[in-house]
This record gives sequence, C-alpha cells and structure tokens, in this order.
Amino acid sequence: MKKKHFVWSRLYMAIVLFMMYLPIFYLIFYSFSSGKNMSRFRHFTWAHYVTLFHDDRLLAIFIETIMLALLSSLVATLIGTFGAIAIDQAKSKKFKGILLALNNILMVSPDVIIGASFLIFFTALGISLGFGSVLLSHIAFSIPVVVLMVLPRLKEMDRSLIDAAQDLGANQFDVFSKILLPVITPGILSGFFMAFTYSLDDFAVTFFVTGNGFSTLSVEIYSRARQGIDLEINALSALMFVFVLALVFVYYLIEKRRRFKKAPKRG
Amino acid sequence: MDIIKLEHVTKQYDDGFIALNDISLTIESGKFYSLLGPSGSGKTTILRIMAGFSEPTEGKVYFAGQDITALDASKRQINTVFQNYALFPHMNVYENVAFGLEIKKQKKSKIQAAVKDALHMVQLDDFANREISELSGGQQQRVAIARALVNQPKVLLLDESLSALDKHLRKDMQFELRAIQKKLGITFIFVTHDQEEALAMSDEIFVLDKGKIQQSGSPVDIYDEPVNDFVARFIGDSNIVLGRMVRDFEVEFVNRRFECADAGIPAGEKVEIVLRPEDLDLVRPEDGKLDVIVQSQLFLGDHYEIKAKDMDDNEWLIHSTNATQVGKEVGVFFDSEDIHVMRFGESEADFDKRLETYEGDETGEKR
Amino acid sequence: MKKNRLFFLLPYSLWILLFVIAPMILIAFDAFTGSHGEFTWSNFVQFFSDTTFLRMTLNSFWYAFLITVITLLISYPMAYILSHMKNQQFWLLLIILPTWINLLLKAYAFIGIFARDGLVNHFLSFFGIGPANILFTDFAFIFVATYIEIPFMILPIYNAICDIDPALINAARDLGASKWQVLGKIIWPLSRSGVESGIQAVFIPSLSLFMLTRLIGGNRVITLGTAIEEYFLTTMNWHMGSTIGVVLIVLMLIVMLTTNRKRHHQEVR
Repeated sequence: MKKKHFVWSRLYMAIVLFMMYLPIFYLIFYSFSSGKNMSRFRHFTWAHYVTLFHDDRLLAIFIETIMLALLSSLVATLIGTFGAIAIDQAKSKKFKGILLALNNILMVSPDVIIGASFLIFFTALGISLGFGSVLLSHIAFSIPVVVLMVLPRLKEMDRSLIDAAQDLGANQFDVFSKILLPVITPGILSGFFMAFTYSLDDFAVTFFVTGNGFSTLSVEIYSRARQGIDLEINALSALMFVFVLALVFVYYLIEKRRRFKKAPKRG
Repeated sequence: MDIIKLEHVTKQYDDGFIALNDISLTIESGKFYSLLGPSGSGKTTILRIMAGFSEPTEGKVYFAGQDITALDASKRQINTVFQNYALFPHMNVYENVAFGLEIKKQKKSKIQAAVKDALHMVQLDDFANREISELSGGQQQRVAIARALVNQPKVLLLDESLSALDKHLRKDMQFELRAIQKKLGITFIFVTHDQEEALAMSDEIFVLDKGKIQQSGSPVDIYDEPVNDFVARFIGDSNIVLGRMVRDFEVEFVNRRFECADAGIPAGEKVEIVLRPEDLDLVRPEDGKLDVIVQSQLFLGDHYEIKAKDMDDNEWLIHSTNATQVGKEVGVFFDSEDIHVMRFGESEADFDKRLETYEGDETGEKR
Repeated sequence: MKKNRLFFLLPYSLWILLFVIAPMILIAFDAFTGSHGEFTWSNFVQFFSDTTFLRMTLNSFWYAFLITVITLLISYPMAYILSHMKNQQFWLLLIILPTWINLLLKAYAFIGIFARDGLVNHFLSFFGIGPANILFTDFAFIFVATYIEIPFMILPIYNAICDIDPALINAARDLGASKWQVLGKIIWPLSRSGVESGIQAVFIPSLSLFMLTRLIGGNRVITLGTAIEEYFLTTMNWHMGSTIGVVLIVLMLIVMLTTNRKRHHQEVR
C-alpha cells in the first residue's frame, strides 16, 4: 500500500518534469538538423551554430541584452536596498504600510499595464524611446523585488546589534558598513540575482518602450518567431540552455559546500 | 497488567546515528511513567516509536499483547501531547478538541458533549470558540491535553509538555496532570529532561542516556540508589569521589576508612562513592568525619549551598539550613547509610541481584 | 539619524513618485480624456456598450480562469509530492530551471511542436488520428500558458507546505486521521496562503499574455492584454488602450481581494 503510493507519485512527478523539459529539448534537438523546420530531422549539422556566430546583429543584441541586465540590476539593487532600509526605519506603521503597498504595485501589475503606462510616461516627459527608456523601465520594475528580498533580512536582524555597536562607539557609517551591510548582504545578492533575471526575461515591458533603434533578445526572438521557424533560434536556445545549466551547476556546488559546512550535529 | 512492551528495540537513523540501542521495557496499565534523560538520550525516540511516528530498525513493540510495530499511528489507542502542543492553527479550540472524534465520524451531539467534558476537565469551559492564537501558553497546553484525552486513549504520551511554561505554571500543571491521571486511571508516559519534574510526578522513572536505559525504578529508588555516576549526577546534586572496597560494609575514600551499607563487592575493588549534599551535615571540626574549609556560600531560599575543600583538595557540595562563614574550618558528618557505593560498569540487573544477596526484602526503604 | 533616513528614503521615494504613481495617474488620465485632452466618460461608455469589448473581457477572464485552474490541478500534487522527496533542493532546482529559459523561446518551441507536421501530429497520426490543426487554437494557447505558469504555481504552494510544522501532521495522525484526511483537513487548509499567492501569480499575468496569443493563439484568441497592445502599438489609440488598462486593473484588484478573504469557523454554544 505504502509502496504503491510511492510509485504513483514518482510517476506523476516524472511525467510533469518530462513535459516541462520536452519543449526545451525539442528545440535543442532540431538545432542540429540540417532541415529548414522542426518536423523532420534530416542529418546532423553544426550549420545553424555557424550562422549564429556570423550573425553580427544577433550577437550585438545578445551582448546589449546582457549589458542592459547588468546595468539595470546594479542600479535597481542600489535603490532597492536603500528603499528596504528606508521602509525598515520608517517610524509610523502607517507610513510603512503605504510604502510597502506602493512597492508592491509594480510586483502585481500585469506587464502590459506597466509597459503601457511607462510608454505614456516617457512620451509625456519627451524622453525618446530607445536604450535609455528601456534601461529606466528595467530599473523601475526590478526595484520592488530587490526591496522584497532585502526587507526580511532587516526584519530578522537583531536590533540590539546596532545598539551594541553604538554602545561600543561606532558612528552611523560604521553601523551601516560593519553591522547592517554584512547582515543583509545575502538578501542584496539574491535581490540582484532576481533583478538580473527579471531584466533578461522581460519581453512585454521592453516591447512597449523600445523604439526602432534598440532591441533585446526577447524582442528579437519574438519578431523572428512571428515570421516562422528559423533554426538559428534553436541554436541560440541551445546555447542559452547550456549557459543556464552551467550557472545552476556552479550555484548548486556552492550551495552544497555551504550546506555541508553548516551541517548541524544531532543533539 | 502490561499495556506497552518494547522488546530489543534499536533505532538507527539514515546517517548512522544510533538513537536507541537494544531497549526493552514494560509499561503497566494505570501508572505514571517518566522517560528522563538529557537531549539526545533517546527518550523522544522511544515516545515516537510508541506513538507510531517512527518505526524501530530492530525489535518489536507490543500493545496489550498485540504486535503493533508496523501499525500506523492513526490506528493506535495511544494519543500524544506534543512538545509545542501542535495545535491546528486554522481551527479554534472546539475544532481542535473535536478533531479526533470527527475523524471517527461520531455523532455531532456526542462530540459536543465529549468536547465539553474534556474542556471542563482542563478548566477551559468557556474557551470553546477562542482562536488558538488568542490563548496563552498554559491554555494551549490544556487544549492539547483535552484534544488527546477526548479520544479516551489507553495511554497518553506527553513530550516535554511542560518545558515551554514558566516555573510557576509548570508546578501547577504537574499537580493537575497527576490529578487527571489518577482520576482517569490511564497510563501516562511523560518525557522530560527535568529531573525534579520526573521525581515529583512519576510512579516510575526510566533514566536514559546514549540510547540505553541506565536505570529504572521508583523516584526514591533512583535518587537513593543511583546505579552509576551518570544517574547520580543527573538526578540531583551529588559528591562523587573515587574509593576502594576494604571489605563488606567497609569502604575507603579520601584516604580514610568508613563504615557503609554496601556488600557483595570483592575486597580491594575500585569503586565510586556518592554522597548527596543534603546528607552532609556541618558540625564542629572535632565531631566531623571530614575536615573541610568553606570556599563559598550561596543562599538559595530554603537552604544554603556551600562549597568546601578538604585537606586533599577534594571539593564537597553541602546543603545546609544554617549559614556558615567562608574560610572557616568545619567538620562534615554523615551516616554510614548515606554512603552509596557504585561499581564501575555494573548494570541495573547486576546491582539488584547483588542487593538481594545481603538485604533481603527491605530494598530501597532505608530512609 | 534623521539625515540618514532621508538619504535612504530619497532615491526610493523618487522612484515611487516617477515610476509608480506618475504612470498610474497618467494611464487613468488617458482613460478619462478624449483626443483633445478633454475630460470624458466616452471611452468607458464605448467599452461597456460594445459587445466585442465585453465578449473579449469575458473571454479573457475565462481563459485566465481555465489556465489558473488547470495549473493549480497539476501543481498542487507536484508541490505535495516534492515536499516529501529526498533531495528536495535538487528537484526544486529542476522545476525552477525551465523558468530561466526565455519565455519567448519556450513559446517558439511550441510553434514547432504543435505545427501541422510537428511532434504532436506525428504522435496523433501514429494512432490514426489527425493530423489536426492544433497551432492557433484556444487549446494551444491554454496549453502553452499553463506550461509556462506551472513553476510559478508550484513554488508558493511548495513553500507553504514546507512551512507546516511536521508536528501538526503527526498530531493529526495521532488523532486517527488517515493520509488523505491529513491532506484534506490539515495540509490543504494550512497551505492555502501558498495556493492564494500561486493563483495571484498565475491569474493576473494570464490576463495579459499578448505574445502568446500572437504566437500560439494566432490572433484567434484576443485577451485584454492583446487588446491593450493593439491599441497602444498598432492603432495608436492610447485613450482606448488606457481604458482597457483601467478595466484590467480593476479586475486584478477584484481577484486579489477575493483570494484574501477570511476563513470560517465552527461555533458552539
């Protein structure tokens, strides 16, 4: 009875996971096909990868997308961390509540609303659409997630640490750099990471606020996919998957080592 | 009547840690038991095996003669009061207490009556509609007891149930638990690391350490006749010194010979001597069996705790109702019955056997 | 200390002002003005008197509802099973991993899978059914949207289940509850917060997945999101686009309020 239960649940999990990975492997599989579409595998070829590496436009977009993600997440992390500290320090409960509610508006808003309202905003201010507007948008929608990642760390922090530091003669800057910052650094890092992925992954907002001159990977894939199947995109997705996998593997190793070190003894 | 029996139960975790090492014990119906030991001693593991939350790696568990080793927790006539109460936060007091009966699909009217009785027993008559989050720790404790008892279990397991309460409430609950147990006449098995609690409530105590039962018996037995230095140290304060058996009823320690009440140990064997601090009396130097110099004195309300050193630099802990002065030379007096001799590596069974050879049937009634 | 607080607060409140409050006001302003900047209700009158708009809203709601329900049905057991696995971190990673592959790439994959001579039709022909038109149908849209949203539903539910004190489950078993009763009476109600945030995380984006309706739904499926995109970027009627946006925001608020309601208790005398 117990065993049977076990087998069914494993089977269910295997099916769902299989379905989750099927499209990704389907893409990668056909990136090696010499055909023109994803229906019949002709024979093995690296041709699409060769085309990809000679596609200067796509490579430029790829680099620009990464730069955009890095830049926007850095700025968002800075402002978001400040915001988290400001919220945490807010004296009245009401003010804190209002700040948190405003913070969460962009978290729960649908992408199209964010995109559309930013478009109106940039036009109203006369900011031309392009790299600048996309960068500002990415910073804007990444800030709340940074705040949400840093805030719990601040809440968990033992207040007496600050009192103790001040008691021992630390000034404001010391308290910030020697007490506050080390405690919230894990939150800042995960906030940065989240902001980075938000930026890399965004399509809808970018699609609204980008003009004709600037394009990100998502927008480029969209416009190519609308024209039909292009196995160069398959090759691109294979590369991106390998890249993500490598990142995950490194992360997993670090995490495992950390866990191993911290493994608690049974009492 | 035996209600629960563990036979050669061993529990080893996946990481190799042996929580229980060949435990055998018998629980009789209608008594109050304590499983006493430090954290990691295996006491909670025994409880979990009895409740059915965990299966032993080896050995058998019997309930009223039936093998229940592999029986699911939900099918056992045993209920548990959890360490942090484990009250369902999404249910109010009534729903929590009624949970077990609703699972058994009893009639609504019957459930209401039973819940009312159970809440009355724990003195929470007007609390049925309260949220769990609105209750104090002590009240949550009572709800947890009511929730378990309403199912009319044959055995109630209590896992460190009083440890989260403050000292005063804990004392009250000790009395109440004991009263409830007497009233219902069912078996209570109480897991605790607090020796005072175990001594105060139990009919019988199992002292555990490192996955083994070190000693079992009535509170008085265990206090007066600790079988080894672990039990002696864990139950109450004690002075433990190395000694040597001279002959039956005579032992040597701190380079002196004393009359004692122990026998059946080969002459010349190295032994450990236990002297309880409250058995030591402060007297004038010329009347004492030992001369000591007072090192420190603490007033603890009902007695003074005095630390003193003898001429050989052995430290002695003395409980006295009268004050003395630090630095003063005083005598320490004790009766020969107060000397308790422990043999190295002697098990509880060996100890009992030896006792029978010279004491007859007056075991443990020396006080 | 006072100066310090201002230092932290200033950039953040500037962001709130410029990128949270200003855009919201602007979109509302556009919704209530005509092409000459005059105040008017006419956009809303037009919206609520035109059956195409109303049908689209209803459709959009219905699709989002279906996507959410199907996602929940698939994800809850997944989260539950996951919470009982050994090596949970590894399996969790396996579930999160696909979310790091660009959404557009995954949608693009389904163009191939659902194509007339794609994987699914190969499979169907093998059983003697089809080839069928799958791409550019409602089914395709719902399938792909569900596919994309599943991890976002699993995660909050999984976290909520993991947060349940194992002692509560032991307590329920101790009181005689079977595995299914434990699931129904303890785990399900206590993981509701996770289900609620999962619903929020899936339902709201599902109202606005315009790229999927374009790529997979082939313009047959029109959602509120698609309409907004069309009014803003194709027909350039921002006033109407903003009006639809305001309707979407109101719908979103309704969803959030209904998923946060209080629970009900048995009362006894």
